[in-house]
Amino acid sequence: MSTLSVRRATPHDLNELVRDAPDIVAELTDDHRRSLSARFRAVFASDHRRLDAWSVEQAGRASSGFRWSPATARRLLGNAGLRRVVRDPLCAPTEAVTQEIDDQLLRCASGYARTGSLANWLGGLSGCELALVCAEATNWVVQVLEIAQGLDCEWRVAASDAYYDVARARTTLRARRDLDVPLEHGRVVLRVRSGSPGKSAGPGLRSDLTIDTLANHEGIAARRFIGVWPEAGVALSVDGTMADLRAGARDLVRTAVVQERRRHQKAA
Amino acid sequence: MATCTDPSPRSALEALRGDRRRRPRTDLSSAAGLRSILEDGIFSLFGATAPAVPFIIRASSLRQQNLSTDISLSAHARVRGILINHVLRQLSVGATLTDPFDDALRAWRLEVNSGELLDYVDRLTGDDLARLTTDVTAHAVTLSRSLGPMSPRWMVRSAVRATQVLCNGSVILRDVIDLMVGTSVGEFASVALFDVTTSPLGEGAERTMRYHALLQTLRSGVVPLRTSTFSTATGEMWSLDVDNELLTRSAHEVLDTLSNIARNV
Repeated sequence: MSTLSVRRATPHDLNELVRDAPDIVAELTDDHRRSLSARFRAVFASDHRRLDAWSVEQAGRASSGFRWSPATARRLLGNAGLRRVVRDPLCAPTEAVTQEIDDQLLRCASGYARTGSLANWLGGLSGCELALVCAEATNWVVQVLEIAQGLDCEWRVAASDAYYDVARARTTLRARRDLDVPLEHGRVVLRVRSGSPGKSAGPGLRSDLTIDTLANHEGIAARRFIGVWPEAGVALSVDGTMADLRAGARDLVRTAVVQERRRHQKAA
Repeated sequence: MATCTDPSPRSALEALRGDRRRRPRTDLSSAAGLRSILEDGIFSLFGATAPAVPFIIRASSLRQQNLSTDISLSAHARVRGILINHVLRQLSVGATLTDPFDDALRAWRLEVNSGELLDYVDRLTGDDLARLTTDVTAHAVTLSRSLGPMSPRWMVRSAVRATQVLCNGSVILRDVIDLMVGTSVGEFASVALFDVTTSPLGEGAERTMRYHALLQTLRSGVVPLRTSTFSTATGEMWSLDVDNELLTRSAHEVLDTLSNIARNV
């Protein structure tokens, strides 16, 4: 049975979600990993596939090609800015983002930026366009900071997103995570999302939980995975139970099947 | 006899932030009551049967109370409004504007690839383009002069979106707050909402100010300190301290608007 729950995203509710996270968490063993790999291998992959919560929520529909924009750059720049704010509390969100953009521009100017990278894209923008990118990223920093500062316990900005390469299945799984809350036994993970949660937000969150657990070298699930939608003031959460991990893995495999079927139909 | 008076604020943002020592305690309890007023009101309007298509309420729905034609909805005015919002976003991060029209247009193009209004701008030539450029520049100058310096420590964010789904999706409230300063975490209320309009202020502007405060309260669960609106057409600014009475009034205005819309469907 799924443990999906919906709450308001107020500091009180978020603290309760963290505090009441279940003590007993599931663990993924090598057998689980082998079983998942076998299932993915059974789905023909014409190309290397990348799956994440968004592809699960979109039921495998191919998204239009990625391109950098203020909206797509805000999380990357925002979380980097947030790390600066955490390191130096005297640094304001706008200053932190500006410093991060400056670093990216320096990387571009010194020839270290790959084609298609964020630094490369930023390097081609004018001052007013950079200001818009900075404004978007600052919004991200402030909203994540407000969520984090509302927590009664210790928190840290996630070092990176979780990536897991499924062995011999030409498949990479990616889970986004923004805040880690270390607890006495285990941890709680928070992911901040834009817009409002759709009907498939639950399956998306479960796949994030599964991928995050797979990427954990000990295979230990987070006690709770919380998705926060600040625009809607809503928080959804799933517990790190085996039922939720299984459901997340099933959704990911199903997405790979649907994706391949759609690709096949398109080609025919 | 010498009289001591409070010095008048030097800028719009200074007026908005007010005296820190006079801020009320953070109100965390009003949001639930407001949600109940809205949910009960919507239920009494539509009953248990959800409409096939959800009713969407925006700040503009409240501005146009009698469904009359509003001159601010012309393409020229809408483009001007969008560009001035981009000017505000740039000012919010401390950017210096050299050519407000071009800067704002470039920023807008970066955000939106194509659209009806961008096509409108692309089709403008000669006098019409010059008129829009002059118009936007004049409004931008009024805004930048009145806004005043913005400390990065005020947790400034711009174009903040809010969405509230009510009665299982029968009604969706949407809003975009042009500028927000302060934080909702803390013992005292400090969030101030700042709306910019390129039209002169009227009765509708007051309803919009209240609506912004209502949506922010429902979204975050915290009542903001102040809500204000600034007209770049007149340089006038209205500001209201937010309390439960103001929010309740806004909830009833939303219900009235819904009732009007439902009657005309």
